[in-house]
Amino acid sequence: MLAIIQTELVKIASRPRSYIGFAAITIIVSIIHLAMAEDGISYLGFITQSFEQSFFMEGKILNGNLVCFIILQTLIIQVPLLVALVTGDLVSGEAASGTIRFLTTRPVSRTQVLLSKFAAGGIYTLLLLLWLGILALAGGLLIFGNGDLVVLKSDELVILQQDEVLWRFMAALGAAFVALLLIASFSMLLSCYSDNSIGPIISTMAVIILFTIIGTMDIPLFDKIKPFLFTTHMVVWKSFFDNPVPTTQIWQSMIIMVLHIAGFTCLALFHFNRKDILS
Amino acid sequence: MIEKIIETRNLCKSYGSFVAVDNLNFEVYPGDVYGFLGPNGAGKSTTIRMLLTLIRPNSGEIMMFGKPLSKNRSFILSRTGSIVEKPDFYKYLTAENNVRLFAKLSGYQVTEKRIAEIFELVGLKGREKDKAKAYSHGMKQRLGLAQALIHDPDLIILDEPTTGLDPQGIIDIRNLITHLSSDLKKTILLSSHILSEIEIIASRMVIIHNGKSIVEGKVTELLDTSDLVVSFQVSDMEPALREIAASDWQKFLSEKKDGKLVFHLSQKQVALLNSFLCEKGIAVTAIESKKKLEDYFLQLISKN
Amino acid sequence: MKKAVLAFVFFISSMHTTAQQAQEVLDGVIKNYEKVKDYQADVHIVADISFIRILPMNARIYFKQPDKMRIVSKGIAILPRQGFDLMYRSITDKNSFTVVPQGNELLEGVQVQVISLLPLSDTMEVIIAKFWIDPQRHVIMKSQITTRTNGTIAAAYSYGSFATYGLPDQMTFWVDVKKFKIPKAVAADLNNNEKKEQPKGKDPNKGKIAITLSNYIINKGVPDKIFQEK
Repeated sequence: MLAIIQTELVKIASRPRSYIGFAAITIIVSIIHLAMAEDGISYLGFITQSFEQSFFMEGKILNGNLVCFIILQTLIIQVPLLVALVTGDLVSGEAASGTIRFLTTRPVSRTQVLLSKFAAGGIYTLLLLLWLGILALAGGLLIFGNGDLVVLKSDELVILQQDEVLWRFMAALGAAFVALLLIASFSMLLSCYSDNSIGPIISTMAVIILFTIIGTMDIPLFDKIKPFLFTTHMVVWKSFFDNPVPTTQIWQSMIIMVLHIAGFTCLALFHFNRKDILS
Repeated sequence: MIEKIIETRNLCKSYGSFVAVDNLNFEVYPGDVYGFLGPNGAGKSTTIRMLLTLIRPNSGEIMMFGKPLSKNRSFILSRTGSIVEKPDFYKYLTAENNVRLFAKLSGYQVTEKRIAEIFELVGLKGREKDKAKAYSHGMKQRLGLAQALIHDPDLIILDEPTTGLDPQGIIDIRNLITHLSSDLKKTILLSSHILSEIEIIASRMVIIHNGKSIVEGKVTELLDTSDLVVSFQVSDMEPALREIAASDWQKFLSEKKDGKLVFHLSQKQVALLNSFLCEKGIAVTAIESKKKLEDYFLQLISKN
Repeated sequence: MKKAVLAFVFFISSMHTTAQQAQEVLDGVIKNYEKVKDYQADVHIVADISFIRILPMNARIYFKQPDKMRIVSKGIAILPRQGFDLMYRSITDKNSFTVVPQGNELLEGVQVQVISLLPLSDTMEVIIAKFWIDPQRHVIMKSQITTRTNGTIAAAYSYGSFATYGLPDQMTFWVDVKKFKIPKAVAADLNNNEKKEQPKGKDPNKGKIAITLSNYIINKGVPDKIFQEK
């Protein structure tokens, strides 16, 4: 199995498309760093103007932790897209290029093939996330320095002491990894049903965007649907920046995401094992 | 010693109401170069895909290396190499890395020496480091053979292996198949539309039509030289017909066409009939024997 | 008639005397302050504001006469915008305010004098400042300052061993706060539509900041560069 995972990783690493994600993240993070360095103070002034008549905040509000937190907001839409760009192509891309015939006439089972692709996709996702984390956090700390983290919510502020922040970022990235694995498994499921590269990628993104829109709209009908949308639980990483940390809610969302991953993977395995390879 | 390398028993595959393979039975023995013939849509590719587990049969059984395929897939496929239709590769990898990758998936530890050997065998020596996307169609066919052979399989299944090759390439492939069969004792199942190729290299064959096996057996036995289709071009048709009608040769006459008399004869009888006509003063200007397998094939298909 | 005039003069002179007494009380407080040329102390800040969740914070406060003040914290500290420096400025600016005595009260077992300062000008930031002063120790126990732009800031002070310098051990500020709202696109709770319940007993329009001071170092010198560093 390790040998198959290795071959899948070689394939991913050999494709130019795989580096789009890293390049995009580098560009996004650099742009945000530049923007915050230029205009970060006025951006924060916009936030603090509603209470600065009554009291003021002494200390370094604009710091690497805050900038990193702002960058992590890209985990909602942009990074899932970059993950789906690669994982959505893992099966359908082979079908489109015809290599799936060679792959599935080997003595390895289709289950092993698919799980290896999933594992390789997971490793790619992890590397992408680590790259984001390193650039955002290490880069941010280098440029803006350390300090307490002011978490901006729509109707409150949460201020976390800098000694508390690093473990929260680590935990948040861990939760974000599970969320991105969910995207990877969903896009791979769609990939098993398609014979072209682009369909699963676009379908995955369309679903994420649609669910996110439903999740953000304050319509009573949508309120009933929201708990069942996986995008609702994908943002649980933000809960690590609450005080106190809502551990019950986090565990619930993590379990729901893991169940989604298991469900998507099982469906993909079921279909992939049974389908006739005609391409 | 395994008796049969491949054996299918009442193999069936349908797509909705369309029956692609209908109770197909055939056997491939060790060392065979087994021809798999049939017109387009006969079910050849479907059958080959079932042998390679790309497609699940609706019913029936496939035994390979004496074991049921459904329960011994890994063992069987580790000893099988194949090309199914047009060979496709990972364009962004070199030819060598493509072959290495497939060898790894077959559980085979490939060495540099083996790579060099295989690339030389298929006529791609010196092109190992080229990216697969730079390969021509013919080169990809050869590379397809390389990936089929890299793990030293006992059984090689080739679906149209000479498609897109130039005449020299076709000869090279034919020679390779012969070398694999006679020198390396591989068993080969070969599906092709080029009947002359099957005729030359196959030891046994099956002809399928509408998913069914029409005939199976040794090529030499099926293409009985006692039943040749021979046309005699004569200078004078009328006297020739009179003489033949008055003789035992009448029962061998199948048709008269374009100044030619067409007989079903054995090899020996060709000379005898020629002598008979000469004795009767009928000048024979040409004797032509039609392509045997092609004729046999068309004859069988039209019957079915 | 004579009696009425005498009574009126006595009343005016007693009023003048009371205001004078009040000024003397204030002067006693000022004298205490002026003993301190500079000081530095550790501060522990606990902010209790409805829309801010922050853990107690430690910082260091630096003061140098006449009006240099800086709070240096490792992290972010929340402080009232108009803090104790406004109180100090109001008391010492004799030319801008009228002193109005408002009688005596018992505050935490101490007999205090209540003194209001009314600005002489209509344009001043302070509308009215009210102080509860312990005349024995010459310290301000409580203050309530209403400003034009920042609402009312109430404060309570408690003293320990540094009462002789007028330096409190504890200060508690109550400030008016407006409802906090920022656009959802900027906020971190994009997908979270949970309605948060206000904790019971908490006034969403008032914030409280409690500051505990300790480890005073008084009149030992504070370099000017501390007030320049950012």
